[in-house]
Amino acid sequence: MNLYFIKSQDFNDFVKSLVGSKKVIGPKAKKHKFVFDRIELPEDLRLDYDTTILPPKKEFFPTTQKLVEFKGNHYNGCINPEEKILFGVHFYDVKAIDMTDHLFREKNEDWNYLANREATTIVASNVQTVSNRAFYGSVGTEVKPKGHDAYLTKLKDGYLYEAITNKGEALVKFGKFDKGTDSHRKEAEEINNAVLKKCPESLKYGTKEIADKVRKSFDKKEVWENAAHDCFSCGSCNVVCPTCYCFDVQDDWNLDQTSGLRSRYWDACLTEDFSKISLGAGATENFREHSADRFRHRIMRKATYLNEKLGGPACVGCGRCSSACTADIADPTKVINKIMELR
Amino acid sequence: MSCDKCACSENKNGQNYSNIFLPKEAKILRAIQATQSERHFTLQLANKEKMKFEPGQILEVSLFGYGEIPIGLASSPTRENTFDIVIRTVGRVSAAINKLNEGDSMFIRGPMGHGFDLPLLRNQNILVIAGGIGLCPTRSLIQYIMDRRSEFKKFSLFYGAKDPSQQMFHEDLKNWRGSSDVSFYETVDKGDGSWKGNVGVITTLFNKTQIEPDTRVIICGPPIMFKFVIKELDKIGVSRKNIYVDLERRMKCGVGKCGHCQINNKYVCVDGPVFSYADIENLEEAL
Amino acid sequence: MSKAKVAFFDFTSCEGCQIELTNYGDAAFLELLNHIEIVEFREAMSEKAAQYDIAFIEGSYTREADRKRLEDIRKRAGVVIAYGACAATGGINALKNHQKDYSEAVYQKDSKMPHLASEKALPISAAIKVDYAVYGCPMDKYEFVRIVSHLLHGKTPVIPNYPVCMECKRNENVCRYESNDHCMGQVARAGCNAKCPGDGIPCEACRGFVDQPNEQALKKVLMEKGHLSEERAQNKSRMFTANLRSDSK
Repeated sequence: MNLYFIKSQDFNDFVKSLVGSKKVIGPKAKKHKFVFDRIELPEDLRLDYDTTILPPKKEFFPTTQKLVEFKGNHYNGCINPEEKILFGVHFYDVKAIDMTDHLFREKNEDWNYLANREATTIVASNVQTVSNRAFYGSVGTEVKPKGHDAYLTKLKDGYLYEAITNKGEALVKFGKFDKGTDSHRKEAEEINNAVLKKCPESLKYGTKEIADKVRKSFDKKEVWENAAHDCFSCGSCNVVCPTCYCFDVQDDWNLDQTSGLRSRYWDACLTEDFSKISLGAGATENFREHSADRFRHRIMRKATYLNEKLGGPACVGCGRCSSACTADIADPTKVINKIMELR
Repeated sequence: MSCDKCACSENKNGQNYSNIFLPKEAKILRAIQATQSERHFTLQLANKEKMKFEPGQILEVSLFGYGEIPIGLASSPTRENTFDIVIRTVGRVSAAINKLNEGDSMFIRGPMGHGFDLPLLRNQNILVIAGGIGLCPTRSLIQYIMDRRSEFKKFSLFYGAKDPSQQMFHEDLKNWRGSSDVSFYETVDKGDGSWKGNVGVITTLFNKTQIEPDTRVIICGPPIMFKFVIKELDKIGVSRKNIYVDLERRMKCGVGKCGHCQINNKYVCVDGPVFSYADIENLEEAL
Repeated sequence: MSKAKVAFFDFTSCEGCQIELTNYGDAAFLELLNHIEIVEFREAMSEKAAQYDIAFIEGSYTREADRKRLEDIRKRAGVVIAYGACAATGGINALKNHQKDYSEAVYQKDSKMPHLASEKALPISAAIKVDYAVYGCPMDKYEFVRIVSHLLHGKTPVIPNYPVCMECKRNENVCRYESNDHCMGQVARAGCNAKCPGDGIPCEACRGFVDQPNEQALKKVLMEKGHLSEERAQNKSRMFTANLRSDSK
């Protein structure tokens, strides 16, 4: 790992030169919110963003992704990665990307995701503004961010750029970088540690005890029914989650009615039809029929089911679900802290 | 690079990517209307290669434009280079596939998932309990045992159907009835004028024969059946770790990604569809 | 594939859904015409045919007197599709089901004229068996084309039973509630690609509810986060879902 330092006044030129020669995706304002989008002008890059509406996984796993194109009985796959730089990813999203990397790679490698992922250089950046529902200071703290190619921290007089991989190293040539020093590194460390303490929300217990207690609360019907009382089963909490990766697959014909596409779409286990199967003659069976069943499934999935695979909870504390839930019942800290207080 | 799952790869920008979503073409050699709503297909890969699979594994079967569905293999790998599936018309994909005939193509991915653990079944007494369409995936094991009969001890088979018109695999049934290789017992929930056999739920067949407590039992059928069958097996003293169940769930991808078939921390499509009952009996939402 | 014979009929409606179809664009519309033959379409032609593969019925069923015509369409059609909100759910017309003086308010001195007499505004399915619905006010032309495409291939059309929020989030729209506004996307059936919230307009649930709308939570959120009065929150969804609400008459 090499440390580089760039002065504040040179940073704009670095971004300008980068966006001039590479496809750069970074945080950009959308009304008073932020989204990851193509950056074409340096001033569009908003590293002071709190969080984005959708997590950056959409760059590897688009909300709608072509899987197979067909014409009659002839067909082709649609893997077609494009080199790009994902710039300004907060550490919690880096953690989440590392999780989806693992999940798309385990058992059956899904190159529809992995090819896009490998074609991407990830430049992480420090959190300059803490979002109002964040709890990344207290969730899964044993899981460290990894998988990114570089880490950028805004210091008092400039930016520290830690090049972690060769892909990260390759971007240094686009800016007027000097060698970073130990004191830069120390300043960055303090800044990155300080932000963890600024989260407005927090889990009051550790990963293991949460996993055990939540898992044991599976049969506490009343708890889940109360928690899901105002649930719309709208799936917003799923769609904005950086570690959710469920999808539906649908086929459609083009206007010529012979050619068409098989595509996958982000799906949501909170929606009514997610686990519904047809039995024939119009009859159906739903393995998670009530909204409370589905609400529970999500919390289980975040707090316990995947822990063994991921080494921690499948939640990074971004708080997106808490903001996206209009009924304001999705907040994992509220649900989990409440369960932990049950006797 | 090619993968076993699909044997398909694609070349983009000079790099090869295996693509778990690319299917293989399979030709229909034979299509029989098994019941009013179920169609029995005998298939062969379009490249005529023999497909490697284990009894109990599943395929994702599709038609372009209509979509994909998970289907259990209904024949044993010990048979020729063909394989069977049975499809019940329940939704848009099954309805479209069930209009196909001999010579038509469908598209498959797989084999997928975890089938029957043959090493744990060999040299054991075996009882297969199949209710309704549950006979289809278990037929892959039944055929296997019949083809390699000497590798197994006593083999019993219980088969229950709603009524005689719902019985499938008539040639097989005829063979099994007359065979000394299998103790075959069948029942229908509701008889008709011509039915001379047992009438009653599948558990009534337990009175017809002696099942040894050390028997390995395979159950596949409607969810409601499991509870009652397990009760009978408990009476006999069959250990729960010797009971295997073949589950059905909504699946989309078949490769452990899409989340639709997830029950607790298990994905039916990769960890199953065959599970040891001991592994899932305490898993909520499993049965 | 031989061309499917398609017919359009209208009942109580503004016929805007038929107009919306003609907005589909010449090239795309003409390509569609390679696969369908429109045999009855008041907005564009006047021929009549005896049999149809697909009958699209626009407008709500508001008079017992219309039943015969609907039954006649049903008899002549392979597939009957309720086309647009009025036909699918009763749509905005169903607002009158909760009113007594609407006729005077709308038609004033003419309100007693016999041709204006009507009963409750109901979906077409209240009179005849309807196979599928193209929801929305107006219906979504892209969804219409997809449904036609599926029917041409004998596939049951895929119509979402998840709410507009899903599409809105996938499109990364700023939530109306995050802009100090209100919205009903949480209970509204998706399929429109969340067009209105995408343009900064609250969802009015013109496609009706999902199968299991949480009406009490909607009221609560409309009041607490959408700043509507209790009465408005209670009645808010009625504009397009009068026949779907738990208090429907």
